[in-house]
Amino acid sequence: MNRALLTRLFDLLIVLFGVSIIVFLMIRMIPGDAVAIMLGANTEITAERMAELKSRVGLDRPIIEQYLIWAGSALRGDLGTSLWTGRPVATEILIHLWPTLELTFLALLFGAGLAVPVGCLMAQLRGGAADVAMRVGAIAGLTIPSFWLGIVLIVVLAQVAPGFASLGYVPFSEDPVGNLQRMLLPSFALALPILANLSRLVRSAMLDALGQDYIRTARAKGVSERRVVYKHALRNALIPFITSVGIMTGYLLGGAIVVEQVFAIPGLGRLILGAIAERNYPLIQSTILVVTAGFVLVNFIVDALYIVIDPRVRA
Amino acid sequence: MVKATLRGGLCAGLMMAALSSASAQVLEIGMDAGPTGLDPHLITAFPSFMVVNGNIYEGLTAVDKDLKVGPGLAESWTVSPDGKTYTFKLRQNVKFHDGAAMTADDVVSTIRRVQSKDMASPLASRLAAVETATAVDPQTVELKLKEPSAPLLASIATIAIVPKSVETNKDALQKAPVGTGPFKFQEWQPNGFILLSKHDGYWGAGSPKLSGLKFNIVPESATRQVGLTNGQYALLPNIDAATALQLKGKPGVKLGETLDLAYTLIGLNTSKPPFDNPKVREAVNYAINRQEIVDAALFGAGVPGGPLSPALKNWAVDVAQFACYKPDPAKAQALLKEAGVAMPVAVTMNVLPRQDVKDIAQVVQEQLNKAGFKVELKNQEQGQFIQDWRNSNFDMFASINAGSPDPDDYFYRTFRTGGSTNVFKYSDAEIDKLLDGARTMQDQAARKAAYDEVQKKLACSGPVAHLAYGTLFSAMRDKLQGYDVMPNRSLGTLRGASLTP
Repeated sequence: MNRALLTRLFDLLIVLFGVSIIVFLMIRMIPGDAVAIMLGANTEITAERMAELKSRVGLDRPIIEQYLIWAGSALRGDLGTSLWTGRPVATEILIHLWPTLELTFLALLFGAGLAVPVGCLMAQLRGGAADVAMRVGAIAGLTIPSFWLGIVLIVVLAQVAPGFASLGYVPFSEDPVGNLQRMLLPSFALALPILANLSRLVRSAMLDALGQDYIRTARAKGVSERRVVYKHALRNALIPFITSVGIMTGYLLGGAIVVEQVFAIPGLGRLILGAIAERNYPLIQSTILVVTAGFVLVNFIVDALYIVIDPRVRA
Repeated sequence: MVKATLRGGLCAGLMMAALSSASAQVLEIGMDAGPTGLDPHLITAFPSFMVVNGNIYEGLTAVDKDLKVGPGLAESWTVSPDGKTYTFKLRQNVKFHDGAAMTADDVVSTIRRVQSKDMASPLASRLAAVETATAVDPQTVELKLKEPSAPLLASIATIAIVPKSVETNKDALQKAPVGTGPFKFQEWQPNGFILLSKHDGYWGAGSPKLSGLKFNIVPESATRQVGLTNGQYALLPNIDAATALQLKGKPGVKLGETLDLAYTLIGLNTSKPPFDNPKVREAVNYAINRQEIVDAALFGAGVPGGPLSPALKNWAVDVAQFACYKPDPAKAQALLKEAGVAMPVAVTMNVLPRQDVKDIAQVVQEQLNKAGFKVELKNQEQGQFIQDWRNSNFDMFASINAGSPDPDDYFYRTFRTGGSTNVFKYSDAEIDKLLDGARTMQDQAARKAAYDEVQKKLACSGPVAHLAYGTLFSAMRDKLQGYDVMPNRSLGTLRGASLTP
C-alpha cells in the first residue's frame, strides 16, 4: 500500500510538470497578449508605451526565462501575483475555491446520494412502467445542458417566487440561510446530469449483481429481499459507482464553470475563464496547476477507497 | 414533507428579501463584466470606467449628460490670449476618501503620474500637449502647453485626480482606489461584486443621497434580466436595445435612454486591395443601407450616423448631406466596375465578439453581397480580434467604438497619417492639413467649419464606414429616481440619485 502511494505521488509530480509546460505554452500561443487585451481595440497608445506596459508585467523577457521564474517560485510555494492588480494568486484561488467546493460538494451530495436509491429502485422495478419512466427521465437528465437548465430554473423560480434571492453568492459563515438559498438551484442544475448518469450505472451494476449465484444462495437461505438488495448486491455494485464518482468530481469542475456563469457565483471556474479572457498568465498557470493537483488527488483518494470497499484489492 | 420544507424555505427567503429592501439605500447594480483594476490611469475598458468614473474619481473638468464640458474639481479657469496657458481655480473643501484635503499639489502630481514613462498610462496621449504643470498656490494650478490645444478641456475631464502619495505607486489604486468622488471604495470580491459606500466628506452639498453602490458582476444576460424583474437588482446600466425591449413593460421596471456616443463601424484596410481604392470604399457606403441596419439589428432603436455621433449636437453634420448615405446598390456596382476590380469582390470581415456587432455584421454582409461583394464573416475571440486590429491584419472588420466629446480625440489618432489608432493605414494630405489646423484653433466657428469639411470627406471614401448610433438604454426599478443615462456610459449621475421606498 505504501508503495502504491509513493508511485501515485511520483505520478502527481510528473503530471504537474507536464501540465505546467503545456499551460504555459498554450496560453501564450493564443493570439493577443495581456497588454493588447488590457488596452482593447481603439485605445490610443504609442509603441513605446506598449513596450513599457509589457516590461511592467515582465512580458518583455525571453519565454524560457519567464517559465523558469514562474516555475521556480511555484516550487517554493509562491504562486505569483495577478497581472494588473498585484493580488497574490494564492489569495485569489482561496477566495474563489470555497464557492466551487461548496457547489461541487452539494451537487455530489444530491447527484450521487440520490443515485443509489434511485438506481436500486430502478433495478428492483426492472421492466415496469416506473422503471421505464425513470430511465426516460435519466436520459433527459443526461441530455439537458446545465446552462439551459440553470436559466430555465431561474426564470421559473422568478415567476413562482419572485422575492426568492437566487442569484450571486454569500459566504455560509456570513449568512447560512442566504447561502443555501442561493446554492439550491445551481447545485441542482449541476447535480441532474450526475444523478441521471450514476443512477443508470447503479441500475445496470445492480442488475448484474442480482443475477449472480451468491444472490440466489442468499435468497435460498431466506435472507430478506431488502437485505439481499442493499447488503449483498449493492456492495458489489458500488465499485464501478465509486470510480465514476471520482471521475465525475473532475467533470463537475467543468460543469461548474457554466453553472457559475449562469448563477453569478464567484467560483474557480469564473476565475479561470476571466483569467483566460484577459490573458492573466500567472493567474491562469497557477490556478490550472492547483486544479490539476486537486484532480489527481481525487483520483488517488478513489483508488484508496477501492481498498476499503473491495478486500480483493488489498491482496 | 419535502414540499413543506421547500415552501418553508421559500417563505424564509421572501421574508429576508423584504427585510433587506427595507434597510437598504445601497443601489444594487447588475453588470455583465467586472473591472480588471481600479487605477483610473491604467484602465480603459467599459466595466472599469463605469465603476470609477464620476463615482470614485473626478477630473478638473466634467462632462454633463449633454456632453458639455463644465466645472469639475476646478470651479473656474482662464486661458491666456495665446491659448498656451490654462489657469485653474480649484474648488474649496474637496477631500480625498482618506480624509486629506485635495490641493494643487495633488493635481500637479496627478499630471506627472499620467505622463510618466514608468506608469506607462494609456491616457498619456491625452496630456500630450501639456508641457508643465505648476501649483501657483494651494488652490491654483497652471498648465503650460507646447501649442494651443482646443480639445484640452474635454481631455482633462477624463484625467482622474488622485492623491500625490500614489504618484509613483503602480499597484495601490488598482486594488484600493482613493479619489474625491461621492462614493468611496469599500470591498471588492473578484468576480462577485464591488461595493462603494457614501463619501461623507463629499464637497457637493446634499449628495450623494444613496448610502452606497454595489456592482454585482453577473455575466449571463438572462440572469441579469431576472435579477431586475424580481427586484434583486435595481439598475442594469447601459444595455442594448434587444435586452431593453425584453424588459419593457415588466411590472416595477422602467427604462432610461439616450443617444449613444459609441458607434458601430466597418473598418477598411486602405493599405491593400481592394480597399486601397477610394472607389471601392465609396461602393461600400452606397451598398450599405443604414436604416435597414437600425431596423433589423438594433430593433429600430438608433439612428444612421456619420463620422460623429448625433449626440454631439454642436459638431455632427447631418447625414442627409452625405450623398453615399442614400443606399444605391446599382451605383455601388457601377463604382466597382469603374474601379476595375474583379466582381464579385471577395473579402473577409473580422467580427468583434459582441452580440450587437455580430447582428450588424450579418446585415452588412447581406447588403454588400447584393452589390457585387462576396463577404466572408470571421467571428473571432476578443484577443484575436484585438491582435489583428492592432497589426492591421484584416480586409475589413465590424466593431463598436466608444466616442469622445471632442472631435479631435477621435479624428486625429484615427485618420491622421501615422495616428496611433489609424490601423487602416489611411493617409490623405488634405485631411492631415485640416486635422493639424483644427486642433490648435481658438475660434470655435472656424474649428467647426474645419471638422465639417473633415466629416464630409470621410463619410463616403474614408477608411471607416460609420453605420449607426444606437439608443443606449438603462433598465431600472421604478423606485430609482434622479439617475440619467449618459451618452459616454458614465454612471456619474448616480451622485444625485435616490431610492424611494
